Amino acid sequence: MRGNNSREIKEALLELRNITFGYKMRGGEKLKVFDGLSLSVRYAEFLGIAGPSGCGKSTLIRIMAGLLKPEKGVVLFRGKPLEKPTPRIAVMFQSPALFPWYTVLENVMLALIHEKELSEEEKMERAKVFLDMVGLIGFESAYPAELSGGMKSRVALARALVSQPDLLLMDEPFSNLDPLTAISLRREIETLWQNQSLPPSSVVIVSHDIEELVELCDRIIVLTRRPVKIAGVVKVNLKRPRSRRSEEFYRYVDEIYTFLS
Amino acid sequence: MSLWAALINVLAALGFSWARMTIALLISIGFSLCVGIAAAVNQLAEKTIIPILDVLQSIPILSFFPIALYAFISIHPVVGPELAAIFLIFTSQAWNIAFGVYEGVRLIPSEILEVSRSLGFGRWRRIMSVYLPAAFPKIASNLPPSWANGLYFLVACEVITIGEAEWRLFGIGTLSTSYILSGRILEFLVSLAAVVIAIILMNLLVFIPLMRLGERYKFEERAAEVPRVWFEKLSRHLITAIERIFPRRLKLPSIRIPEIKASPRILKAAALTVVAIAAALLSYHVSSMLSSPLVGEQLLAALDGFVKLGVISPLTMIGFSLMRVSLAIIVALLWTIPMAILIHEKRLLEDILVPFFQIVASFPATLILPFIAKLIVDLRLPLELGALLMILLGTQWYVLFFLIDGLRGIPLEEEEVCRSLGIEGFSKFRHLYLPRMLPSLIMGCLVAMGGGWNTLVVAERIVLENFTWDVGSPGIGRMLSIAVSRGDLPLLIASTLWMVGFIVVLNRLFWRRIYEKAVEIVGAAR
Repeated sequence: MRGNNSREIKEALLELRNITFGYKMRGGEKLKVFDGLSLSVRYAEFLGIAGPSGCGKSTLIRIMAGLLKPEKGVVLFRGKPLEKPTPRIAVMFQSPALFPWYTVLENVMLALIHEKELSEEEKMERAKVFLDMVGLIGFESAYPAELSGGMKSRVALARALVSQPDLLLMDEPFSNLDPLTAISLRREIETLWQNQSLPPSSVVIVSHDIEELVELCDRIIVLTRRPVKIAGVVKVNLKRPRSRRSEEFYRYVDEIYTFLS
Repeated sequence: MSLWAALINVLAALGFSWARMTIALLISIGFSLCVGIAAAVNQLAEKTIIPILDVLQSIPILSFFPIALYAFISIHPVVGPELAAIFLIFTSQAWNIAFGVYEGVRLIPSEILEVSRSLGFGRWRRIMSVYLPAAFPKIASNLPPSWANGLYFLVACEVITIGEAEWRLFGIGTLSTSYILSGRILEFLVSLAAVVIAIILMNLLVFIPLMRLGERYKFEERAAEVPRVWFEKLSRHLITAIERIFPRRLKLPSIRIPEIKASPRILKAAALTVVAIAAALLSYHVSSMLSSPLVGEQLLAALDGFVKLGVISPLTMIGFSLMRVSLAIIVALLWTIPMAILIHEKRLLEDILVPFFQIVASFPATLILPFIAKLIVDLRLPLELGALLMILLGTQWYVLFFLIDGLRGIPLEEEEVCRSLGIEGFSKFRHLYLPRMLPSLIMGCLVAMGGGWNTLVVAERIVLENFTWDVGSPGIGRMLSIAVSRGDLPLLIASTLWMVGFIVVLNRLFWRRIYEKAVEIVGAAR
């Protein structure tokens, strides 16, 4: 079992050093999002990132994924600079972003496009394994438009995991789902991450739902408004699966809220 | 000295042409607002108006111009041709604006309509503060293509010869044609340059500020932006100037429109009177036209035209023409697909290339048709190549702009998924661009084909003063042109109806279907 904090692993899987990033606004002015931000994602860690809305959490995820390049500073993945997106880092976006013209199976197989040594059949087998894992076996030939929101998110999860990444980045993955679906999907992601023989090693989740973060994460980084600084880091020492009803749980939630306000 | 004279001549001609265009454009906007809003708001109106507009927009305008000319000249011999020209330009400008208004009003989020209902907006107020602002960006973004379209036909309709009779309107089209035909290349180039400059100014001073202004009325969250370029500063000043004079009342929140309490009844009465008068005038006119022996006879003779044409020969002509148009579209696709993707991927290029293409595209190809015709004939190049070139000029831009637009609509997250999965190059084209482009690709081809049929009427045969361009082999456009220069109205009507009928059938049976198929594949699941 991972995540019990019985043994702290200090090395970083992904490290952001002194990141500076800004957006150009309409009038040519610059909107500074990050000005020298540093943080790291450890091996085997479930890391949460909280912050006021609009502070740049999604931008942070995109920098971690290599989708956006910081203006200054470096992103180190396993100790090496991250120049561009890699299959070792998977992303789940706020919307499932499935290709509507492909079936569920084809959508998942798309993530294996660079696995040259695999034959089509092997890719298909692998995709099916992961679809099974997220509870979608039997839906391989359905099109995204025929699926419910929760099922689409599961496909997106299978697609993210099928390349067996070391790191899974999630940008508000449950925000578009109904509460019940969100609960079961959270469970599944937690279970997958706890299973050591399966990817990913570490998970980063960005959310504005504080309780969700306390439920899932080992460590929660709370960000301030722009330019973003770290307001505080909260370590969550609770046994999994965590119950939202305990008093301890709420102590953590309150702690995070004090950092936010 | 003669150059100065030419310059003054050109400017005067430009002024006349521009005046015709502006009048037609204003009429088009008024027409579009009435028709578009009615179709979007009222289901009955929608069911009648949209199919009619759909057929109207697919009819090659040039083919029924001579018919319209006959009708207008019967009103007044001097004003008639002028009115006919304005009418023709109107028919080339109105449809896309009307569709734009319809779409804009129909896509108003239902919440906004509910809010306006719960605020107790009357009909008038709803039009002023909801429908008009919603239609505004659509109108604005349709102005440049409409202007370009109008210009294209303006040049073609300033000179019209029907049999022995010839009408010439003073304008840039007539002037530049006579320059090229009399070999005055320098003056010809001056007139082209004047048109280019006038188009650029028109875009800078009118269209781009209006489009920019329209951006803020859009409901879409990630609305496609009007490309920002070097003239940004200039147009920003213009926006503030325009805002000061014009659409304070167009701003969505906090609009204050004087409540006309007694107005609905008065308005209704006024509208009814106007409609009644118009209907009376129209029916009087139509009945007098029909009862006049000339027109009545010729309508009967149209039947004769059908008999004369038979079935085989029009089908052969249409077949040839279809091949020409299809080939032109394929050639257009070959360069526009890579270009659209290039523009999509390199934002920097977009800022430079898109305005450039917009200006090039709005240049009326009809102005250089005489030049191409002369070149092909003088150099003894294959005539079909000339026809292909001319059709290409009238079609490729539609394809390009539809493709650029289609690519722009790709959700950012799909792009990011591709990047994070390492899908690049050709596999990105196959897995993302092609499926996403498909509907706009088909739409672009459909519209381009419409443009192509229109161009056919000049590309297969044109009579330019004493010089005749003729592609030599069969073609329905050629047939139309021959009928016009013979002054054979029955033949003209018959071949026009053949062409229109074929286009409508083709659109219904082929384009519509594959478009729906494509939309189905791409899925409405956004």
